[in-house]
Amino acid sequence: MKRQLLNILLIAGLIAIVTSCNTKSSYKTLIITGRNTSNWKESSSVLKQILDGSGLFSCEIATNPKSAGDTSSFEPDFSKYKLVVIDYNVDSWSEKTKTAFLDFVRNGGGVIVYQGASSSFPDWKEYNEICGLGGWGNRSEKDGPYVYYRNNELVTDSSAGIAGSYGKLSEYEVRVRNLDHPVTRGLPVRWMHGYDVLYARLRGPAKNMEILATAYSDTAGGGSGRNEPVLMAITYGKGRIFHTTMGILGEGGGPAVHCAGFIVTLQRGAEWAVTGNVTQAVPNDFPNAAGIVLRPDYKEITLEDDFANIVNYEISKSTKYLTDLQARIRKASGDAKTLLKYEKMMVSVLKNSEATIDSKKLILRELSWMGTDYCIASIKELVKNEELKHEAEFALERLNVEK
Amino acid sequence: MANKTSRRDFVKRSAVAVAGVLILPEIIPSTALGKGGKLPPSDRIIMGAIGTGSQGTSNMRDFLDLKGQVEFVAVCDVDALHLKAAKELVDKTNKNTGCRTYGDFREFMANEKLDAVSIALPDHWHGIIYSEAANKKWDVYGEKPICRTISDGQTIVNAVKKNNIIWQTGSWQRSESNFHRGAELVINGRIGKLKYIEAGLPDGGRGIGTPPVQEVPKELDWEMWLGPALKVPYRGVAHWDWRWILDYSGGQLTDWAGHHIDIANWGAGLEHTGPVEIEGQGVYPREGIFNVPVEYDFLCKYSNGIEMRVANASRFKMGMGTTWYGDIGWIHVDRGGKIAASDPKILEEKIGENEIHLYKSENHWQNFIDCVRSRKEAIAPIEPAYRAISVGLLGEIAMTTGQKILWDPDKEVIIGNQAASRLLSRPYRRPWTLPTV
Repeated sequence: MKRQLLNILLIAGLIAIVTSCNTKSSYKTLIITGRNTSNWKESSSVLKQILDGSGLFSCEIATNPKSAGDTSSFEPDFSKYKLVVIDYNVDSWSEKTKTAFLDFVRNGGGVIVYQGASSSFPDWKEYNEICGLGGWGNRSEKDGPYVYYRNNELVTDSSAGIAGSYGKLSEYEVRVRNLDHPVTRGLPVRWMHGYDVLYARLRGPAKNMEILATAYSDTAGGGSGRNEPVLMAITYGKGRIFHTTMGILGEGGGPAVHCAGFIVTLQRGAEWAVTGNVTQAVPNDFPNAAGIVLRPDYKEITLEDDFANIVNYEISKSTKYLTDLQARIRKASGDAKTLLKYEKMMVSVLKNSEATIDSKKLILRELSWMGTDYCIASIKELVKNEELKHEAEFALERLNVEK
Repeated sequence: MANKTSRRDFVKRSAVAVAGVLILPEIIPSTALGKGGKLPPSDRIIMGAIGTGSQGTSNMRDFLDLKGQVEFVAVCDVDALHLKAAKELVDKTNKNTGCRTYGDFREFMANEKLDAVSIALPDHWHGIIYSEAANKKWDVYGEKPICRTISDGQTIVNAVKKNNIIWQTGSWQRSESNFHRGAELVINGRIGKLKYIEAGLPDGGRGIGTPPVQEVPKELDWEMWLGPALKVPYRGVAHWDWRWILDYSGGQLTDWAGHHIDIANWGAGLEHTGPVEIEGQGVYPREGIFNVPVEYDFLCKYSNGIEMRVANASRFKMGMGTTWYGDIGWIHVDRGGKIAASDPKILEEKIGENEIHLYKSENHWQNFIDCVRSRKEAIAPIEPAYRAISVGLLGEIAMTTGQKILWDPDKEVIIGNQAASRLLSRPYRRPWTLPTV
């Protein structure tokens, strides 16, 4: 009882330390929302969860305006923040607020343009330069060219036409166009994104703008037939802007914002916008061409989650806890101490009478190459088990490779 | 070649033995006896096929296109539907009903007397069946990649060499003029001193999740299909899609190593050696039974300073194909007859009489048959095939372990890494073992 209490106190203390560290080093962020055409109450809360969840940002939400059409009282003190997230697309701001925002960006403030925010302020020239590309609001060829990819070629197309459209909502594949940019470095070049709207035919000044990733807007679903930009990096003055067209809000968040690809690119884009670099490692669950990966609670699964779930693994269930463990093993890059820690946890699965046969089969395959003497006795025990005999023999044969 | 006479004697003796002991008159049908002014019987190559799925059948058709130069007499497959279709193809060509069928390659090998065999199987079966075919002293047309593990590959290379058979790998790009031309220009220094190579292979694709266990179709011998691989329940994945499961294949990387890495090695003069350092990363599916990397990107360093980067094509500006970079230019080759260079004049260059002339073949299957007759080495012999897939397999090990792998290409061992060394082989499920050579 005493020990339990001590443990609780210790954990509470640790949490306090971690939290205070976070607060201390995190970048103050302002999310501007309110009277957005989409579900802004929820979207701003999702954005806050995602950015705060990285441990790098602490977000405040500014709602504007308090009543319809009245933007005069909206005068945030941008100088308090390192990053401003625009989740807003309705009424114009006061000249004073516009000037303050431009000063913030010109002087090196970071900006995230999120989804529908690129449709805001069609007549505000500087804002459109900050977004790079935008849509709707009577934008047309007068506002700038279409910019997209045809096969592997960047196309700047000044032909006349509307700005902003989208086809049928779907999962779609994102194609990274620059693997050397801090935001996209280390990502898979192709990855599946959760069910979302895909903006097409955006146009704008596209000055100092680099397209980081595109997605194909399929004509079969009423799309443009172009590889449309979905992630963009823009500079304006000394400021950096990360523009994502992804992330429509659905019921309870929904797959577009639960998508690990959306979450992680937002976190990385935000860090780049503030510092020009990205220190966050690419997580194990970043999606790839094989399929989408969703994080319903916006969090990466932990090593403890892996083992809590691997013991229940059966064919037909999700393989994500096992593949997560495999990714951890790869990332350990042969570090003996880390691998032994995993090995001990894996052996505890082998010894666990409640653990499924399928989970043990999978563990035995991994141990067959990365195991040490620690696992051998437990594997020998399993040779006697008719259901595990082949896998146990397979593992022992490989482990004894040098005998 | 010294063994030419003995080889033909062997074939003749085999035919006599068959006729005498097994009494299978179909083995030498009347067409093969040279009636109607066709080829003399000694020139008709008697063939069988093991693995008659899509690639196996495609190869059989390519041999049959050589109008009367080969005659298939027997086919073997674990799927009765494949077998039936292959027999129909052979019987239609032979205008008889004599093509023998086998579900078990051991019976096929025990009963058949062949000059040559065409083999197209999932990779996990290559170690046993290629080696056994070589031990039968049959000449082999074998699909790439020639092995699932380095250890399988070493056994196969030894079996082919020891038995002195003619081996042709299904690396047919060697018999296409653009690949040949690119490799020949590079090896003769037309882009200067070779520094760096890129091999762009296909990206991986969507997964299928984890389909439920289902009843094995009655035409499929699932136990035999698995063979030396670990026993798993049938979930509707066997033909074709086996290449997305690590037990049987390394995915696009190992499937295509025998094409664009093979061509890279050919032009670089690296086809009898291997890298000394291999380091890189893979991207793996999160969900489902398909578990091969969908992206891969690793760098190999060779002892002569050349570097080769192997990656899925979307990671390269040049995309699919092989690109050699020398100190004065580059050459890129890919399927569809593609060849390009940093300066188009490079492609006009003539190769002088005293320069290196790479082996020339216009038709990959004809080349094999010609070599079966002449006893000369074919254009895609065993060692280059082994060295090409070794690059892919060592890359796979580097990605699996997350470590830089040090490889000794002469002794063919990984240096100083026990865990990685274990990945050079996969234990076989009993009763299967790698044959002794």
